[in-house]
Amino acid sequence: MAKPSSASHAGSPGRLDELFQVPGARPDPTRARLVLGVAGIAALSALITAIAVPPAPVASTVVNMPTAPTMVTQQRPIVYVQLTPGQSPPPGATVIDAKAPKPITIVTRVPAPAQRAVVVRTTQSGKVIP
Amino acid sequence: MITAERPTRASRVACYSLPTLIVPLTVATTAMGGRLIVHLAAPAGDGRAKHDARRLLSRIGCWADRLSRHLEASELSALNADSRTRVPIGPTLAAALWAAREAADESEGFVDITLLDARLAAEGLSFAELAAGVRRSWSLESGPRRTAVVSRPPGVRFDLGGVAKGWLADRALVLLSSWPSAVVDADGDLSVRCRAGDTWAVALDDPRADGATLAIFHLSAPATGWSVQWGVATSGTSVHRWRRGEILHHHLIDPRTGAPARTDVVQATVVCGSALRAEALAKAAVIAGSTDGLALLERAGVKGAVILTESGETLALPQTLTLLAG
Repeated sequence: MAKPSSASHAGSPGRLDELFQVPGARPDPTRARLVLGVAGIAALSALITAIAVPPAPVASTVVNMPTAPTMVTQQRPIVYVQLTPGQSPPPGATVIDAKAPKPITIVTRVPAPAQRAVVVRTTQSGKVIP
Repeated sequence: MITAERPTRASRVACYSLPTLIVPLTVATTAMGGRLIVHLAAPAGDGRAKHDARRLLSRIGCWADRLSRHLEASELSALNADSRTRVPIGPTLAAALWAAREAADESEGFVDITLLDARLAAEGLSFAELAAGVRRSWSLESGPRRTAVVSRPPGVRFDLGGVAKGWLADRALVLLSSWPSAVVDADGDLSVRCRAGDTWAVALDDPRADGATLAIFHLSAPATGWSVQWGVATSGTSVHRWRRGEILHHHLIDPRTGAPARTDVVQATVVCGSALRAEALAKAAVIAGSTDGLALLERAGVKGAVILTESGETLALPQTLTLLAG
């Protein structure tokens, strides 16, 4: 009869079957350790994958929703060149004085507001709100 | 010299999220020749909210009375009537005048509170024309207990105008610190605090038709973060205007000329971090005109700006689109 010693099973893989079949022996932790090890590696792998790889887009189902408001804007970026002293502008070019404000991009159409009552309102001073 | 061309391209910005908007409890009164309103994110029947709002309005009303040039008993009227060049003033007027200096700096000099006589002359109420080259510089020295001493050239009189409204709105919002989402509306100049996750909808008035709305801003604070403070103000030439002979005048005086500004801007609205700054920049944009005004607002780093021009064109800085509700 094999000794039901916990110290006797771990060092020799060839005796595992024998040890498992011994009645009254203490549960062998090797299998549990294997399962835990594999599970740990799998969890770590999944974690690393989730961190390193961004989630792929998920195909969505089209649902009947109100149409999302879309803003159509028109922008006027201004392209310009600075002429150095002595240079002449190209023929037909519009000439702007150097003291003119620096060109900026503006939006020439803002979205139409939704037709609903809004309580908070900004106005010119003295404006009577109906 | 600079050569320029102006190509046009279209871009699309889509808004897919519709935030839940605050439906506020609102308490209103009149002061400063206009409306004074407190909006709180509270249920309609909240007694504490009503009590706090009414108490605040009463206090703002007292401040406004000290800063009005229309009331003979106000601190401002007393200062304007004082013939001395150095005049001691109380804490409330001192705070408002410090705010006026800040507004002048923010607006690159377009906001100038020494133009009272020029405005009265434009209205035909005074014959004290603003002589070109007259020195109108003034200064403040701090005194004990938040008082101050004003130094100014003889004859210079002050009109706080929108500066007082912006300052009052910001100051009042501080007193509402127990309300995480609140708006103080000082005759169109708004000081807005928004709790994390909340969104205020603010309608921008369209001056071309009563009750019409030019745009709606959604002012919010990120769900995970601190509350955010906004300032929104509108200035323009279409409300306070009158005709003298053949010429149409308005109340916004250009400090460069001492006369009503010759501008293509009918109305400008600015969104930034405080009502005082928004008011100063909106007024500056109107006086400067659309081209120079938009450039000024760009330099100032505002969060949003919408300008309506005489030709009916609506112009905005690009960053404004993230604030506009579709």
